[in-house]
Amino acid sequence: MSPSSAPSNTASGATAPAEPSSSRPGADAGAPAPMVIEVLSPSREAWSVFRKNKAAMLGLVMLAGVILAMVFGPTLYPVAPFDISGAPFTEPFVNPALPLGSDYLGRDILAGMAVGGRATLLVGLTAAAITVSIGLTVGALAGYFGGWVDEALSRLTEVFQVMPSLLFAMVLMTLFDPSLTTAIIAIGMVTWTGTARLARAEFMRLRKLEYVNAARALGAGSVRLMLREILPNAAPPLIVSATLIIGVAILFEAGLSFLGLSDPNVMSWGLMIGANRKYVLDAWWAVTFPGLAIFATVLAVSLVGDGLNDALNPKMHLR
Amino acid sequence: MNATALSSPTSLSDPTPGSRPAQAPGPLLEVENLSVEFDTRKGVARVLESVSFALNRGQTLGLVGESGCGKSMTALAIMRLIPNPPGRITAGQVRFEGTDLLSLSDPAMREIRGNRVSMIFQEPMTSLNPVYTVGEQIAEAVRLHQRLDRRAAHARAIEMLEQVGIPAARTRVDEYPHQFSGGMRQRVMIAMALACNPGVLIADEPTTALDVTVQAQIFDLISDLRSRTGTAVVLITHDMGAIAEMTDRVAVMYAGRIVEEGTVAEVLEHPLHPYTQGLIACAPGRRTAAHGEPLEEIPGTVPSLLERRGGCAFADRCRHVLPRCRLDLPAETQFDGGQRRVLCWLHAEGGS
Repeated sequence: MSPSSAPSNTASGATAPAEPSSSRPGADAGAPAPMVIEVLSPSREAWSVFRKNKAAMLGLVMLAGVILAMVFGPTLYPVAPFDISGAPFTEPFVNPALPLGSDYLGRDILAGMAVGGRATLLVGLTAAAITVSIGLTVGALAGYFGGWVDEALSRLTEVFQVMPSLLFAMVLMTLFDPSLTTAIIAIGMVTWTGTARLARAEFMRLRKLEYVNAARALGAGSVRLMLREILPNAAPPLIVSATLIIGVAILFEAGLSFLGLSDPNVMSWGLMIGANRKYVLDAWWAVTFPGLAIFATVLAVSLVGDGLNDALNPKMHLR
Repeated sequence: MNATALSSPTSLSDPTPGSRPAQAPGPLLEVENLSVEFDTRKGVARVLESVSFALNRGQTLGLVGESGCGKSMTALAIMRLIPNPPGRITAGQVRFEGTDLLSLSDPAMREIRGNRVSMIFQEPMTSLNPVYTVGEQIAEAVRLHQRLDRRAAHARAIEMLEQVGIPAARTRVDEYPHQFSGGMRQRVMIAMALACNPGVLIADEPTTALDVTVQAQIFDLISDLRSRTGTAVVLITHDMGAIAEMTDRVAVMYAGRIVEEGTVAEVLEHPLHPYTQGLIACAPGRRTAAHGEPLEEIPGTVPSLLERRGGCAFADRCRHVLPRCRLDLPAETQFDGGQRRVLCWLHAEGGS
């Protein structure tokens, strides 16, 4: 509570702890005129905190850039990424027809960059969605019901936790056809355990709170209590972890592609790195540019995730 | 309130007050031989034992006793909100309008909760969900039981806030719980509990967490709403002053049993059970205040519910203890045709 908000005249006894009073500099300094403290909904308030976080805003801008490049890139640079467009091992910034050079087969690196982001982000987003849906369902049921439900689901989670995730994903990829869908499912299958434990802890903590009991006393059933009363309060850490999982999933996909286990017919940044890994010493550019793209995307996602963590955590608001 | 259709076919009674079926004769709420046990690491704790009382329409019943005597457990058992495991209702009936709530299915019980029998809790600061506006929460309470669209439910929320005396209800309805003080939040809780016009409101120490100056306002509000809506109230408190002012009948609980019950005037002026006498003596009165005398106290503490021996649970603290008290549980003695009852050997012979 900043001292500048002292002359507030909100209705009797109301407290206004997390007012972003600095967003209206000078508004309450000179004018003792009618002062109405603007009250923001939780999401608007989170945005006002997020907006002031420079790193998070940088991440958001980077992410927006990556997404724009993915959406419009192939239209602006319509070169087929699998076609042989020039001599192999063309260095970047030399041939205007191949701005970022070509790889060992003579494929245009920039074309691969432009299209490859789509598969990368698609994998990241859908795998994160799968992770959150499995993890949230398992964790919510375990945490809310407790008892034998919790025992069973926690043991299940542990089984998945102790399996080496990359090996497990590799087994899945080799057992089934190496398509992007398999990759997405494989990544989802190995990353959900952390989300499940997080959701379980949150649901366990929240289900005992007074307002959940009060809602139960008003006649709410279990489904309603979980979805309407508990979930919105458990959401902040889950949103943050989901955001960070997008980054994890992108890296995982890159790793699978690098090992040659992803779909060879879909251009992705990871596939570019994987295909050119033998020629790292001869053609640094063929792995560096897609690597930088992955790095920038994951960094952007992580910065946004950290920013959300600060913005959605009420304890950070008073700092 | 409009005439409404219930979403669930399991409903027992129409929620609108006007169209309820002809009221069955007899008390509105009847608790009979209610017993509750909790499994603990050290054994089974018998938290409630054969608790019985009745509540008529529009009446207020006070439940008093020390902490841990089972007042809140009685409330939770009526609502069927005892956490299970470790707790369970082992015997008894809770009849509301003639139906035994303990025999209802879970969906049918949800129709009762918040709709026909409501409850408000001790802790208004944490009883509201921080992510919704108070209006959304009141509207939600209404929409759980009545088919109202958002606009009508919102209007109902404003109406309820006005009824519980929140100024500028029209603007405050869209504010979040953290913008309300404790007393105001308790008013919101009361608004939520009464939004469906319940037959019974259970108030579990509604003022314990509040400022002394606010306590009286909340008590006034509850009695005012009771007289306007005809809702019967079970008031759980250890404030003897509130009992004297608010209630028609009072039941005194000790170690999971009701040891004395009667009209307020009778119980407060002529307490029969030594425990009741002790409770009344403990209340700060004019004499202690004027002379700076220390407050009375009842020696000893509440016995553990685990090591329940035979005999009266109060025997070790009682100044009138008889040899018999340590051996046999006192039989219930009734006076005035059952209007007054006490569980004490001292009065066993004098009764009817």
